[in-house]
Amino acid sequence: MAIEIPEFIIPLLPWIRGVVGLSLVGVIFVGAMGAVWLERKLSADIQSRMGPCRVGKYGLLQLVADAIKLFTKEDLRPLNADRLLFNNATIFMMGSVFLMLVAIPVGAVFINGVEYPLAVTQMDISVLYIEAMSALTIFGIFMVAYGSNNKYSLLGAFRNFARMVGYEVPLGITVVSVAIMSGSLNIVDISRSQGMLWNIFLQPLGCFVFFVSLMADMGRLPFDQNESEEELIAGWITEYCGMRFGLGFFAEYIHMILGSFLVALLFLGGWNVPGFVANNPVLGLIAPTAFLLIKVVFVLMVIIGLRWAVPRFRIDQVVDLSWKKLFPLSLLNLVWAVGLGLYLYPGA
Amino acid sequence: MSGIIDSYIPVAIFLVMALIMPPMTMFIVKQLSPRSKAANKYTTYESGSVPTGTARIQFNVEYYLYAIAFVIFDVEVLFLYPWTTVFKGHGITSIALIEMFAFIFILLFGYIYLWKKGALTWVK
Repeated sequence: MAIEIPEFIIPLLPWIRGVVGLSLVGVIFVGAMGAVWLERKLSADIQSRMGPCRVGKYGLLQLVADAIKLFTKEDLRPLNADRLLFNNATIFMMGSVFLMLVAIPVGAVFINGVEYPLAVTQMDISVLYIEAMSALTIFGIFMVAYGSNNKYSLLGAFRNFARMVGYEVPLGITVVSVAIMSGSLNIVDISRSQGMLWNIFLQPLGCFVFFVSLMADMGRLPFDQNESEEELIAGWITEYCGMRFGLGFFAEYIHMILGSFLVALLFLGGWNVPGFVANNPVLGLIAPTAFLLIKVVFVLMVIIGLRWAVPRFRIDQVVDLSWKKLFPLSLLNLVWAVGLGLYLYPGA
Repeated sequence: MSGIIDSYIPVAIFLVMALIMPPMTMFIVKQLSPRSKAANKYTTYESGSVPTGTARIQFNVEYYLYAIAFVIFDVEVLFLYPWTTVFKGHGITSIALIEMFAFIFILLFGYIYLWKKGALTWVK
């Protein structure tokens, strides 16, 4: 049976969810700091270095020190920069990740055998919505790069643009082929429908295409042609310094965490583990969320590890990979998903 | 969960948060950070030499061709989304399937045309 809710609260419920959900913003910022720390430690391990180890135990306070530094740095804007674009780009970058965060379930609790996903809001089209909000980042990046009136930044912006447009299409098609299996565009329903069999086993090709496209979408190495420290001097953020850079940097890491959530929810079964039934009241409260977070950290570590294992592609290779390889592969996966759907649910 | 509007109220709350948070952070930075004036500081970075001209230049057309191709195929993907929800359990599986594959098939011609024309090949 479900929990009883007093009658008068029901119209207020979305407002309460929204305001309480704002605490998630704080959580995700701490998570992003954790991800930065993890990346620095992991990359140090891969390269046989120490990584941060002076500030605090295991260098855990390094990020706090960095934050203090960013807060006390002068806010510089080149004289010939476009003020409007340059100043407001962070709103787009932060807005993109915040609005993604609203629709992503960060876990679930089972109370008396009834499942309650821990999402700030649930909508019928949340997968489409999340994808749309994720694509908003490109506006922020383009505003910074075009606004700062720097040639390196301009090159970075155009590269970013060419990359993003190529990878949105395979990303969209793989999401469609996942949504077919559950017959819903609600990410909670998609996650729920993978109770017994995860989508990664049903559509390994789709998972591969989705993961590669997501890496490109997030601008992670080997797909960070917009940054290219060696050739473009950090590309789109050449002129972005101090806390403005900090905000963009944080947005990028939050985007990475939310991307890992997407992989876990769409392909790795979300909070489901085959054979696990939440009949124990305490376990039902903790275990599903813990399962999801373990999967997310696993995906995160794969993403970080890939950064230090694969060199950056050239821009023409990137564009070729998306249009000539991933796009046909995603269509192939769509056909496979349709066939599988017809086979698994005959006469539906 | 009553109505579609209700599920977007938290979105509005988060949007307001996203609108105020970065300017607020920059305001705090303005209070804390030092300021000094030097003319050279405010030029754009061009590997140390004095910047020549602005960055508002004519640019490689290559990038725009990809953008045009993108518009076609992204709209295609958008049309696929409603189809996913009626794929099973609505009794129109076969007709929806045939229609959607006809749709994708027609667009595939455009894709092959682009490929053959060399629009998807990066000009060196």
